[in-house]
Amino acid sequence: MSSKQNIDDSPIDFAEEIIHDYKNSKDEGVLKCVQCGMCTSTCPAARHSDYNPRDIIERVLDGDKSILNDDLLWNCFYCYTCHSVCPVGNSVCEVNQILKQIAISNEIGYDKLYEYMGFADSYFTAAIGAIPEIFFEDIKKDVPGWWEFRQNLGEIRDELELTPPLMPSKEVIDEVSKILTITGFKEKIEKIRSSQEVSQ
Amino acid sequence: MKNVPDSNILLFRSCLVSVEYPGVESSTKFVFDKLGVDYEISEKQTCCTGLGHYSDVFTQIDTSAIGARNFKIAKNLNRPNLVMMCATCYAINKKSVKLLNKNDDLRNEINGLFEDNGLKHLTYEKNDLLPTENIFHVVDILYGKKDEIEKNIKYDLSEYKIATHHGCHYCKVHYEDTIAGFRDPNILDELVEACGCKTIGWYDHKRATCGTGFRQRYSNPDLSFTATADKMNALDEEDVEILIHLCPNCHIQFDRYQHLISKRENKNYKAIHLNIAQFIAIVMGGDFNKVIGVKSHTVPIDSIIKELKEVK
Repeated sequence: MSSKQNIDDSPIDFAEEIIHDYKNSKDEGVLKCVQCGMCTSTCPAARHSDYNPRDIIERVLDGDKSILNDDLLWNCFYCYTCHSVCPVGNSVCEVNQILKQIAISNEIGYDKLYEYMGFADSYFTAAIGAIPEIFFEDIKKDVPGWWEFRQNLGEIRDELELTPPLMPSKEVIDEVSKILTITGFKEKIEKIRSSQEVSQ
Repeated sequence: MKNVPDSNILLFRSCLVSVEYPGVESSTKFVFDKLGVDYEISEKQTCCTGLGHYSDVFTQIDTSAIGARNFKIAKNLNRPNLVMMCATCYAINKKSVKLLNKNDDLRNEINGLFEDNGLKHLTYEKNDLLPTENIFHVVDILYGKKDEIEKNIKYDLSEYKIATHHGCHYCKVHYEDTIAGFRDPNILDELVEACGCKTIGWYDHKRATCGTGFRQRYSNPDLSFTATADKMNALDEEDVEILIHLCPNCHIQFDRYQHLISKRENKNYKAIHLNIAQFIAIVMGGDFNKVIGVKSHTVPIDSIIKELKEVK
């Protein structure tokens, strides 16, 4: 059975869901798409993979929710090139981000988030944004001298006379953790973490 | 051009600048001090959520609630002008201010959460900050001081072949606020010119992404490095020696991975990578170790800039 909608059952309710998302800054832009393909012709992911932003909007307007399971969705660079050139004021880049949030809220695509749990932990427990440590081995391998530099970071920062220190105070950390608890962030991260443990 | 402030500034700390290129922060402070810009850094301000936001781990509510807290810090310090060293922080904060002002449901939801949980002091009132009037990137402030920059030049870097890379999240996200073009971006070229140098101007892929793509670099490196190679090859064909940046994400992609992409492409890229604040700080006489922070760079700065020539 096709997940596509027919013109006589609510063909734009998927698009309407996107229009009403907090992330959407383009009002009804998605409905104005004329399928000109400017987005695809300027997209770095389309240039180097099968990702196709024009096709994403076509599927959204078709009400094709199978797109939420499409791995290609995760190839977007979030470079906003499509957003900056669209002749009718749509933003596939934002639509892509909204589709991913809809997917995640339906527990789809959790596996794409596992590698970034280190960022969530660092922000929640130390109020610091950081490259997740899971990637350090790759960076050490790919970037000569990077690990040695990181070992000397404190000394280099001292030489540059940079203040305040990198680590926030306990008061700041507590406030940030509280915010991320009441927004539902903590609960979501725990849910993703449980799914990761089951998958291993 | 929009009005650009030079006072009541909160210089917004960036997680990537802090741990990858701390010299960008010291250079920005050095240049701001020379130009008489009034700014402060707050130890209470936290990261914009950047990599978490764009790896889809943070929702808009999470990011804008963290944003509201940072905006309150700026207001309480009577420094409502947020100035970012990172393009990601710039785009994320500007979007949160726009949403918190325009979207009553989002603002009420966040304020409701604050009020119900003992965080009433963080409540965001509509138009507490304004996206165009209060949210800036360092390049905007420097652009407003172009004439002052010209008066402070000590060293002549005009003999080098210089190109610019304009970060997508400065140019393309809130393009209505981008100074000196977003389809043909030129703010960095004009700032380099204020230092008495010429850039090569337009080149193939000039407005293209650095290739970082947030999750792409870490989870999909082949796609990421292939996109970066487009740009590195274009710069190599132009024989570029210095590439000027405005975002630490792009800076990492080019400086840290130039060696690796060089090998993948069977080329011998030679460009060094400087943030515009570092470039201006060099021209103004900043010390390479104490201000520019050259020790954090992967492609050695002295592989290109071997000695400095005073302006005549």
